Amino acid sequence: MTLPSRWVSQIAALAGLIVAALFLGWWFGGAGWWLSGAAVLYTAFMLRHVYLLDRVLDGQRRLPLFETRGLWAEIFARVDKLRAKARNRKKKYHRLLREVRESTGALADGGIILNADSEILWFNPAAARLLGLNMATDVGHRLDNLLRHPNFVAYLRAPTGDGIVVASPRRESGWLNVQIIPYGTDQRLAIVRDVTQEKNVERTRRDFVANASHELRSPLTVISGYLDALAEEGDMPASWRAPMTEMQRQAERMTRILRDLIELTRLESAEVNAPHDFIDVCAMLTPIVEEFRARTGGPTVELVLETDAALLGKESELHSIFYNLVNNAVRFTPAGGSVRVVWRTDEAGAVFEVVDTGIGIPEEQIPRVTERFYRVDPGRSRASGGTGLGLAIVKHALQRHEGELTIRSREGEGSTFSCLFPKERVVHRSGAVQAVL
Amino acid sequence: MEVEDLGHHISRRFNEDLERVRNSVLSMGGLVEEQLDRAVKALSDGDSQLGLQVAEDDVKVNRMEVSIDEECSRILATRAPTAGDLRLVIAIIKTITDLERIGDEAEKIGVLAARLASVERPSTNYRELRNLARHVKQMVHGALDAFARLDTKGALEVVKADDTVDEEYESIYRQGITFMMEDPRTITRVMDMTWMARALERIGDHAKNVGEYVIFMVHGKDVRHIGIKNIEAEVEQGSRRLESRT
Repeated sequence: MTLPSRWVSQIAALAGLIVAALFLGWWFGGAGWWLSGAAVLYTAFMLRHVYLLDRVLDGQRRLPLFETRGLWAEIFARVDKLRAKARNRKKKYHRLLREVRESTGALADGGIILNADSEILWFNPAAARLLGLNMATDVGHRLDNLLRHPNFVAYLRAPTGDGIVVASPRRESGWLNVQIIPYGTDQRLAIVRDVTQEKNVERTRRDFVANASHELRSPLTVISGYLDALAEEGDMPASWRAPMTEMQRQAERMTRILRDLIELTRLESAEVNAPHDFIDVCAMLTPIVEEFRARTGGPTVELVLETDAALLGKESELHSIFYNLVNNAVRFTPAGGSVRVVWRTDEAGAVFEVVDTGIGIPEEQIPRVTERFYRVDPGRSRASGGTGLGLAIVKHALQRHEGELTIRSREGEGSTFSCLFPKERVVHRSGAVQAVL
Repeated sequence: MEVEDLGHHISRRFNEDLERVRNSVLSMGGLVEEQLDRAVKALSDGDSQLGLQVAEDDVKVNRMEVSIDEECSRILATRAPTAGDLRLVIAIIKTITDLERIGDEAEKIGVLAARLASVERPSTNYRELRNLARHVKQMVHGALDAFARLDTKGALEVVKADDTVDEEYESIYRQGITFMMEDPRTITRVMDMTWMARALERIGDHAKNVGEYVIFMVHGKDVRHIGIKNIEAEVEQGSRRLESRT
């Protein structure tokens, strides 16, 4: 390592000063005094520059600095350079910050930054507009103290999924979607979106489907009525027999679809959760399974009741859930296969499970099978007589019971549909029983 | 945020206790707001199931009141708070009583809505009641916002709004009498409507009380029964004092 020239010259100057003092001491005598004098001089020189440096760091620009070369001149030049650089950088950040602020200000979606305690650290104008927050006073307040809807508070504590839809605190019949995204060490970003439009479109769609289904039902009843009457007439030409049966079959199918559509819209638009009526699950499952077992040419159906636990819920909806799942399994399992219907409890609650050895569902399609009219294999399922609404009904009915539907499947090997009912809806009775029908 | 001059307690636990109980008052407020919202929705949608559900869910509000009350007693007993802290605890104890009453009135509205759902609806679909309900909901919302922000100006707005609500109640009441005289067959329905208007008006009064507690909590002035002019003066004076202190 070589010493920079400014230090060499500085050390040389100090050495020169000492040599001069020693020389003068030798010439005039009293070398100690001369040396001390030199030291004082040098210290004073240094102190002056340290003082100047201090002033520079305090922000003073113009300095009474005499030298243009040497150690101190260079130190001051470098401080200046650092300062200019810092100034530029600050300007750049300012500009950047202004741009960020302007762009977040122009965003239609609200953004709020929260800390771990849900206290508001920052929010943009859109958030202020959507939620009625006040720029001047609300930073530092907890968001759940200002947006107090119980569902939102619960969501804020444990964010899951795609956010939550809450009524707008500002606008009558306005709706907001709030999504919480954790980032950094313990900060969270809340994105607020106005979904009033979407909700209205959704509502219009639902109303339309409900009205259309109701309107279609009455003419259909007339048609099936006459079809039945005609079919019973003995003197029909033989060539009309087959078309007649087909017409009857299709009319019946249409009735089923309409019935399912009406049921589905009812479930979707229900505001409150299912009531807590006492339902004996075992008594409900037995006839359902019996019905499918009586059909010929299908898979074997087995009912396994591991518990006699009952549920608190709505009878017709629970029946829908059970019937549709068993029906599905039977339809998609060829003769020779088997369907196992299981009712059991575990620590999380009670589970209704249908396990089949049927054709299965390709993995990428599993999330979509609960959509209405979604078909894994269009040709086959229509032939098997489904309405395409069964699983959608199951999903919605289950949601009204705070339950959860899990689907596991492997193509060609079979599927398992499990409904988990939460503890609060399960009533345990006289201990476990083991019954296999 | 913490109530001012609340940040300097020697015991951090004390701070946390006060803060937690304040937050739970606001979640109770959120629950009460939701109850009121759903009760009014049950009326406007003619949804009897929803109305009965509201009535059933009132126990949740009651449960919260009991637990906050206990927490406050515990703080009073173990921490012996003074000055601003004492006012906070007192205001909380009073506020939850009023919130619980609002919950009770919402329960009443739910039951009445369920009953009205089964009778013939007037062509206006209870427009006057829905208007009154909107004002009352705004009052409750405003009172809780003022409580959260310690905003006495907001609290003052709530106190002022009570007059409008009282007037609306009065006019619904008079209208009801006219209906009943015109057509005695409507008596049952109009009586129920009047009861509901009465419940809404009471909720307005409770919201006004909460607003007054906020002023008491922040400025240390009891502003009950002194007239709106005097309340305004107190709030003005109090905010000036607070500003000069900072």
